[in-house]
Amino acid sequence: MKAGFPVNKIKNKTGYLMSLPYILYFCLFIGFPLIFSFILIFHKWNIVTPMQWVGLRNFYRLFHDVQFFTSIRNTLIFLVIHIPLQIVIALFLAVILNQKIKFKGFFRALYFLPVVVSGVVVTILWQQLYAYETGLLNLLLTRLGITKIPWLTDSRWAMPSIAIMATWKNVGLYIVLFLVGLQSIPHYLYEAAEMDGARSLQQFFHITLPALNNTMVLVVILSTIGGFSLFIEPFVMTGGGPMNSTLSAMLYIYNQAFYFGHMGYAATLGFFFALIILIVVLIQKKIVERKD
Amino acid sequence: MIYNKTTVVIFLLFLVIEVSCERKQAAQFKDEQDIIRLTYWCASNQDEINLAKELVNEWNAEHPKVQVVLQPIPASQSSEEALLAAIAGKTTPDVCSNMWPGAMDDFTSSGGLVRLDQFPDFIEYMQKRMPEELLESFRSPDSHYYQIPWKTNPIMVMYNKKMFREAGIVRPPRTYSEYLAAAEKITKDINGDGRIDRWMGYRDIRPIWWQRLFDYYPLYIAASGGMTLFSGSEIAFANEASVKVFQFFNELYRYGYYPLTTFQGDAFLAEQVATQFTGPWNVIHVENFKPPGFEYGISPIPVPDDYNGPVYTYGDHKNISIFSTTEHPEAAWQFTKFLISAQADLRLLEICSQIPLRKNLTVVPLYHEYFLENPMMMQFAEQAVYTRGVDGSSVLKEIFDAISQEYEICAVYNKRMPQEAVANAAKRAQIIIEWNRK
Repeated sequence: MKAGFPVNKIKNKTGYLMSLPYILYFCLFIGFPLIFSFILIFHKWNIVTPMQWVGLRNFYRLFHDVQFFTSIRNTLIFLVIHIPLQIVIALFLAVILNQKIKFKGFFRALYFLPVVVSGVVVTILWQQLYAYETGLLNLLLTRLGITKIPWLTDSRWAMPSIAIMATWKNVGLYIVLFLVGLQSIPHYLYEAAEMDGARSLQQFFHITLPALNNTMVLVVILSTIGGFSLFIEPFVMTGGGPMNSTLSAMLYIYNQAFYFGHMGYAATLGFFFALIILIVVLIQKKIVERKD
Repeated sequence: MIYNKTTVVIFLLFLVIEVSCERKQAAQFKDEQDIIRLTYWCASNQDEINLAKELVNEWNAEHPKVQVVLQPIPASQSSEEALLAAIAGKTTPDVCSNMWPGAMDDFTSSGGLVRLDQFPDFIEYMQKRMPEELLESFRSPDSHYYQIPWKTNPIMVMYNKKMFREAGIVRPPRTYSEYLAAAEKITKDINGDGRIDRWMGYRDIRPIWWQRLFDYYPLYIAASGGMTLFSGSEIAFANEASVKVFQFFNELYRYGYYPLTTFQGDAFLAEQVATQFTGPWNVIHVENFKPPGFEYGISPIPVPDDYNGPVYTYGDHKNISIFSTTEHPEAAWQFTKFLISAQADLRLLEICSQIPLRKNLTVVPLYHEYFLENPMMMQFAEQAVYTRGVDGSSVLKEIFDAISQEYEICAVYNKRMPQEAVANAAKRAQIIIEWNRK
């Protein structure tokens, strides 16, 4: 016992030493900002002047801030469009790419390409595609005899347009996740179903979908969290317009902090928004667990 | 013995050389210590960097005891953000020449700037340089000066002469009615594909607060005869002038004279739009990139039909400040005076095509030749006398944001009447002021 003790101690020391870089990183870039922003909740601060204690006034302002609740509603609208659209398209393409088709590798790389391209670049490109008078999409629609769509300049169209763009940008990642899930389904299940006379669609609904349940949970949670952080697209494309219809919660928090210098209020909004994300993810988890 | 003598002589010689070298080095070190070093941040656009480089080189050659190190303002969303971050991190330069008067309140309230009227010759020097009334408008609420008024970019209308001629318009529109009538003639489908491809003008419709500095605000200043958003500490923009400006833009968008779209590249040079609200900085750009046969002119901002009097506009002033982190305020002040000297102002015109805030600019012989060679700049220089800046308020951006929200609803999307929209913006602005007062 006694002989083993120093060895354990050395092992512990080595362990602590190895994890020191991450502990330092955590303290500097996660722990400290988190504690600091919690302190900010009760203060008014514009970076340059000294902090001013305001107690719960930031919360009072939050609950009277119509624009913030509009931004939360907009974010939820985005999620409602974006998540199902993303799952359907990603699953559809993953199933196709899982078949024995030519140039499989090429297509997989092609669908993944937008994921690695800079968000700002993609957004600027789509801004030009969506342009009402001069955009390529409306040019095609006009050629087909269809009325032009005010993609980004109509409050009813703007958020769905952003959701379509975000889906195009991120779908590659979810295709990869679904492909991993599809490849882990034992092939004998399909053989048995075929012998029982099950058609392709029946096989999909009774074997593929249930077997992908865990992947589905992961995709839903990842895209929910990703969707809640909607920022670059409205920031570059619409600035939150038309008429606040694409003002996402993250964009609103950013504006409060960095345009108007309300660091304390922005921190309050951030914590409140994090709470909403937590509640939504917990509800999702509960629903999925009940299904299991 | 001889060997020993030689060794001693060499040793002594070496000692003498070493001591004299050390003395020389010490003297050099002392000289180095005597040199004052100033850091100067200029705007990060290439023209202003070129100007700053030239001026700094000249200064350094003439002042070996005060050496200036030039650095463009670090990359950021705006100069103000970079400067605020620098104040927070105590990494501000000694002198900065891209100070927007609208952000002065943040800088002064943090104690980040040197009070300039502490220099005995400041007032006298500035009064010689610029009209007293204009100088007064840059005084801070605490009755001191923290900015050296340097240059202005009066916002005016730049128009395509050829497109106007083709539409049968003989002179640039001066009133809202004239502008709308010209817009009706100019906005059309040129290539016959059923799509409008030529418009009267174009503005970024995104509800971003600073976009309003280049559409609503200059037209508001013009329509109100030179008013700004505040009168003292009270909101002043909830008036007939604002309503008329909202109504004017509402008509431009409602009739399709301004498109609800985004353009890639310069729509004015691509001859997709006939007019643009712009400043003198654009003259160099247009001159450098205009297509063959492209003709353009400058005219004042349009005003309501019943308006009488001089046409004011937004001046988009940029000033110079000395930061309180400087260890050599006197040297920084001397360098700043060099930056705004008559000769430096000529280089500002020539390199950056921006207007120095200087008395009788158009009649001073030094600038006479420049204006003869650049008649477009002459118009901007004449307009410079009739400019207004922005109010130095810490909530200015938020108030512009409130105006921007209502402008978008009313002017761009025609979902609210101008009177109601202006009243809403004023109400929101009042709430913002109250909130920030507490």
